[in-house]
Amino acid sequence: MLKRGLAGLLLITVLWGGGVLLFDVPEYLLPGPLTVLSRLAFLNANAGLMGHVQVTLIEIFWGFLVGLLAGVMTAVVFVRLPITERLATPLILLLQTAPKIAIAPLLLLWLGLGPAPKIVLIAIVTFFPVMTGMVSGLRFVNKSYLDLAQVLKLSPWQRFVHIELPAALPTVFAGATVATTLAMTAAVIGELMGANKGLGYLLSAGQENADTASVIGIVLVLSLMGWLFYEVFEALRRRMESRFSDV
Amino acid sequence: MISVSGLSKSFKMEGGNSVLALSPMDHHIPEGAFVSIVGPSGCGKSTFLRLVAGLEDASGGTIDLATGAIRRPVGFVFQDAVLLPWKSVRDNIRFPLDTSGVKRAAGNARVQELIDLVGLTGFEDALPKQLSGGMRQRAAIARALADDPPILLMDEPFSAVDLLTRETLNDELLKIWQQTGKTILLVTHSVEEAAYLGSEIMVMSPRPGRLKKTYSVDLPYPRTPDTKALPGYHALVSDLRRDLRDTE
Repeated sequence: MLKRGLAGLLLITVLWGGGVLLFDVPEYLLPGPLTVLSRLAFLNANAGLMGHVQVTLIEIFWGFLVGLLAGVMTAVVFVRLPITERLATPLILLLQTAPKIAIAPLLLLWLGLGPAPKIVLIAIVTFFPVMTGMVSGLRFVNKSYLDLAQVLKLSPWQRFVHIELPAALPTVFAGATVATTLAMTAAVIGELMGANKGLGYLLSAGQENADTASVIGIVLVLSLMGWLFYEVFEALRRRMESRFSDV
Repeated sequence: MISVSGLSKSFKMEGGNSVLALSPMDHHIPEGAFVSIVGPSGCGKSTFLRLVAGLEDASGGTIDLATGAIRRPVGFVFQDAVLLPWKSVRDNIRFPLDTSGVKRAAGNARVQELIDLVGLTGFEDALPKQLSGGMRQRAAIARALADDPPILLMDEPFSAVDLLTRETLNDELLKIWQQTGKTILLVTHSVEEAAYLGSEIMVMSPRPGRLKKTYSVDLPYPRTPDTKALPGYHALVSDLRRDLRDTE
């Protein structure tokens, strides 16, 4: 799978490079793969590319973590007190359906140019799939497990820790896996809107200087990061699925 | 041990009608009895068991378990084992102990006894999905016995395993009953199983669910495959069959 994926990437790169040479495409429109690669090396040496990668990664880490925890906790409250779900759902849907690119400027106005608005935006997009995953996980816990909990006279906390939470893990991780790609997008949107650090900032600087090679290079770096991020959670999700789902 | 008087259960259906799942019944089960509860689908036998377990609230009447202040008077064995798939056999069996504050070391010692008792030695670290249906039920029985409840309730525990395994499990259940002296209530579809195991048999009939008849079984214990050759066993099985046929 991975091998074939890499072979496909290699093929596309060769076609790209060949096409650029063959049709003599001007560099400001589409630079070849080697130009992009040397441009990335240049950015790494002179513009602190790794530092920008780090800034974006840290924003994603905190935003994702906050969104994950908030999603899980909100789901627990919703399932325990259904009235809260009815009260909060319109608000959450409104936040969810508003284009993220439209929320970003507002967050920048409120929270400034630092990492805070990006973290909040990432948390918002992570929250929803995680929350719905946890809600359905909790709602569809095998009824026999709840009978077992009742026969054993478990306290609500024991029932949550030993039965409901483990049983909900596969759907929570399914939600988190969906959230990884959303979180990447949110980070870049936040940084494009206004920042002085991060890959999105580097991207907009490249655009202002008509530096096509930089822009393509950074897009590739972002894709690679997003892909790895996704694969990590997909692997976790599969583990949870095989360990925590019903026999 | 278990005294039931006027016990009834009705379920509310959608649209406001209610269905009588168990008509008022009175019954007394002595301590240490092995009670087989047999009847066709819809006769209320599982409902009765769930009422005794406290899994359903009675619509009328009372159940007195006479077990004093024990926190968990009953162990319950479900039809499909209901082991937690993320826990090993050992952890599943120790679960009732873990959740009542027993120290892990003490719990493990108790669990090892139970694993030996139900014949799962060597499978302590296996996950439920790695076990056969019969072995899962053995683990479920061990879990139900873990904190030594005086009453063991079993809801068609062997209906999902093959016939040979079922007969083996029946014999082992009798052995466990005689070693532990528990009061056992076992719900089954099978008249042979009911007759082979029970010191007493409750025959139930449907529409509405009710206790139709009780038998006191005088086949001697320990019962073995030879018991199934006794004329008394055959007479009982055919009596039970007739009772069930008359209820259809």
